[in-house]
Amino acid sequence: MELQLQFGYGMMGHCRHLVKSWNGGTVILSPRDLDESQLVNLAKEIRALPGGRVLLDPQFYLPRSDHARLTSHGYWPDSYQTNGFFGGPGMASMMDDVLKLNRDVGSVAFVLPGLLARAIDDDWLGTLRATAEHAATMNAGMPLYSTIALNADSMRNTSGIQEILAEFETMNVEGAYLLFEHPNSDYIVQDPVWLANAVELAAGLRLLGMAVVVGYANHQLLCLAAASVDAIASGTWLNVRAFSPDRFRAADEEDHKRKTVWYYDPSCLSEYKLPYLDLALRAGVLTGMAPPPAYGSTYAALLFSGVQPSSVGFGEQEAFRHYLQCMMHQAAAAKGATFDATISSLRKMLDSAQRQAESLEKSGVLAGTRKFSEGFDPVRSALISLELTRGAMLRRSW
Amino acid sequence: MIELEVDIPWIASQFSELTDLQPLAKGGQKLVFAAKHADEGDIVLKLLLKASGEERLERELLAGQLVECDRVPRVFETGSLATPLGECIWLREQRIQGMTLRARLNAGPLDFISLLRLGSELLATLVQAESKRIVHRDIKPENIMIDQSGNFWLLDFGLARHLDLESLTGTRLQFGVGTLGYSAPEQMRNQKREIDGRADLFAVGVVLYEAAMGGNPFLAGARDQSEVLRRVEQQPLPRLQLHGDRNGALADFVSALVQKFPTQRPRTVAGALTWILEIETAYASTTADGRTV
Repeated sequence: MELQLQFGYGMMGHCRHLVKSWNGGTVILSPRDLDESQLVNLAKEIRALPGGRVLLDPQFYLPRSDHARLTSHGYWPDSYQTNGFFGGPGMASMMDDVLKLNRDVGSVAFVLPGLLARAIDDDWLGTLRATAEHAATMNAGMPLYSTIALNADSMRNTSGIQEILAEFETMNVEGAYLLFEHPNSDYIVQDPVWLANAVELAAGLRLLGMAVVVGYANHQLLCLAAASVDAIASGTWLNVRAFSPDRFRAADEEDHKRKTVWYYDPSCLSEYKLPYLDLALRAGVLTGMAPPPAYGSTYAALLFSGVQPSSVGFGEQEAFRHYLQCMMHQAAAAKGATFDATISSLRKMLDSAQRQAESLEKSGVLAGTRKFSEGFDPVRSALISLELTRGAMLRRSW
Repeated sequence: MIELEVDIPWIASQFSELTDLQPLAKGGQKLVFAAKHADEGDIVLKLLLKASGEERLERELLAGQLVECDRVPRVFETGSLATPLGECIWLREQRIQGMTLRARLNAGPLDFISLLRLGSELLATLVQAESKRIVHRDIKPENIMIDQSGNFWLLDFGLARHLDLESLTGTRLQFGVGTLGYSAPEQMRNQKREIDGRADLFAVGVVLYEAAMGGNPFLAGARDQSEVLRRVEQQPLPRLQLHGDRNGALADFVSALVQKFPTQRPRTVAGALTWILEIETAYASTTADGRTV
């Protein structure tokens, strides 16, 4: 499973740096954060790097958005009428413009505009189909990916998830770009139904032969490797590691504030503030929190140099790059040679992470709001659910 | 409701080409006889009062004729007949000598090889139905015959649905046709938009499970029909544990067939047939001690 870079505020440098250092990678461009010329220029730079690729997410989840930069893009309609836009000249014109922008940035696939589903109903499914049907007539010259953006309530709609899959059975697209709003603005989702449905939708699409990219993901969605997902995308701030439709409703002042620096310990799937690393040093457990050398994260090396971690200058840049570097390795390693090997490996990862996190807790090293302790069981539960419903078919098609 | 009475001498007099007319079954307004035909050998004669289920019998005729398959009884001739109770339509078809799968299962479960044969022969028949856009909708042990060579035959297309023809089941009816405990959840709930060959796959999965284990967990000990429906909709079938099922291949296959949503089952009957044939081939290439040759 590939880790793609979900573009967000302040990510330009990280994208250039990481794609270069990884000898390739995909950046999902964000019109919310970049104007058209910035999109084109960044895409050009990324594509100039060996293995560099871009996708463009048109972010048309909320057509009545007031977000100034997002709505300033040429493809954003001047007026939007709920009735008749999709399937009418408004949609055709917008799709032409989005396709042109995709060509300008050199996308590897045409991510189709898609509305946020507040309910998985006939209207929303009809829009999904109308968009795909129109796109199929456009001779895009690149694979078509339908956007499935689901709000937190829709994520709990188990039969609705199957209705989406039924729709895809006869849709003429090559892939899907999935976005799942987290319930209660939780960073780590605690709802097992949410997670089981996420895995089910992804697996069902893969079994239909679709390419599947899941946007706005964090390390909890490493479990999507069991659904044979092609890629998950993550980024720097939490708002690009968990899909939040509100970000696309209006400008978000929060983006520009200075925030706490967190260190991601990949072995326990939790993040820690630097003072807790100081405590870990004092308790003699810090070295156990270092990333495995195979992950190649040099960004955090200073934290483990024997000096008090909060004093070594480990800042936002290092924290973000360390997180993404670890995630890239974890995502690549998460998908095994077989379905059973993947499930087994994910379970081992969860068990080991839980033991490690609990051991750190006993030493007073606490992850606070970014602890994964409430995330273990929902992931385990989702994996069991996947085995029961899709295990046989995934095992055969792996 | 008018019920057809069995007046064998009268019926025999109307079908002079038949001999040894014997009643086989009687249900509602349908009569089924066994008889002999000079050219066709052993045959089955079915009569249905026209006023009642004319379209259903016509669908059965159509389905039986469309599904040209070695394992569906051949329809020789059809016609109509004036009886004292009214107009009947009739059909004469090939009679399969053997026993129903239900009768066979009364003596115990099938062995592993027979299970594979049941699955592959049933699916081969249903692939023909799928190619003609026909869903059988009533696959159960009572509608499957085992002939004297051990071949499995699929009978009774009386509930078959031709996906290109208008449904005969009222759209607003809460429950669809079929047999509780075998029919797929979407069929029982009459969700017509979702009914296709995958509804039959669900029933094939239940039949395979029952043939392997000797019982149907959806039916066993259920208080009433609503409990059966609840089980079919909510309770997963336990995973098969069979001697000889290397790597749980058949267990996997059955578990895929009996998923609650059609979108979770193999996408087509043809795909399911390919799958079970792969299992058969893998099994055939394995020696008795488990080594692959």
